[in-house]
Amino acid sequence: MTASDRKLIRELTIERGTGKALELRRGQVLRIAQTSGRQCADFNCFNLHDYKEFFHTGRTRHLHGLHPTKGDFLWSAPPRERPMMAIIEDTVGTNDVLYPRCSAFLFEHQYGLPVHTNCHDIQAEAQREYGLTPDDVHDSFNFFMHTGVGTDGHPFIAKNTAGPGDYVELLALIDVLAVPNVCGADVMMTSDFELKPLKLTVFEASQADWAGVSEPPRLRNQRNPLQFKVKTIKADRELHRDPAYSPEFTNVPIEITDVDVELSAEETGWLSQLAATGQYGDTDAEVLRYVFFTWWIEQFMRGPKHVRRG
Amino acid sequence: MTRTAIKLRLNQQQLELIDNSVKAGEGGSREELIRRALREFASANLSQPGSNK
Repeated sequence: MTASDRKLIRELTIERGTGKALELRRGQVLRIAQTSGRQCADFNCFNLHDYKEFFHTGRTRHLHGLHPTKGDFLWSAPPRERPMMAIIEDTVGTNDVLYPRCSAFLFEHQYGLPVHTNCHDIQAEAQREYGLTPDDVHDSFNFFMHTGVGTDGHPFIAKNTAGPGDYVELLALIDVLAVPNVCGADVMMTSDFELKPLKLTVFEASQADWAGVSEPPRLRNQRNPLQFKVKTIKADRELHRDPAYSPEFTNVPIEITDVDVELSAEETGWLSQLAATGQYGDTDAEVLRYVFFTWWIEQFMRGPKHVRRG
Repeated sequence: MTRTAIKLRLNQQQLELIDNSVKAGEGGSREELIRRALREFASANLSQPGSNK
């Protein structure tokens, strides 16, 4: 039996500025795929039957480094510390568990944009379908986010290299509420200064999918609420969908406008030279957009710039 | 004088950022601000800006 023997359960597209909470049972696979490419996908994950168990970037980073990929797990937070999902395919290899999710504060503080798509609010809005609050959004797994750490010790965001059709696949090892979202950062390097939809597909895993997953550890210190001195919380542990839920994502729909810029012969020459380096984009328009936003960040953005120097 | 037209695809949030900068006096228009960015970026990143024109 091969991965192609999988049974298709669901296909959907998440549009720019949005995300979607998906119930996955143990043994189901979530594929997060690029449409036109170069799009970061932020991701949250909860135990479907106890939302107090959720994905933990810190433990995952501790065990798999800054760029987890195929063969690595998404771990839950202490004291649970179980592998919730396994990464069983990754066609790019540029994932990040270093950066926190972008937030409304960040765009207001650094860019002067008080109402802006951002991963925290997108996650909160998607999770609201299951009764979760903005305080329940946790640090994200950032798929297709190309990052590194410079010799000065500061992290940086590099150009997104995911191409059309690239994907990651996550196998649910427990029942989870999986929440991917289209990263809302269109004025950062994260998604190459353009928001694009992402395609989501849910499969029933094949035997071949399971065969590639190493046996995760089962230790006494992977605790559960039965071992807690205080066993109850002030909310139901089971996540119930709100049938009255209606999405209200910020600034959606994202609408594209073509802005005409007339360049002189001299300016066209500069643009051609920059394009010839191959570092800034595939078309003159992409190069000019890259140039504009990286210049703007350097000139006006408050706080750390998160770009590679030297 | 030869001029080249470039069509930039920008969403409403990106335009808001540009318009805020124009309002702050950083450029006379969206187009002027973008051309300023190109000029200053080229000056900082090309050894001889415009050498192939």
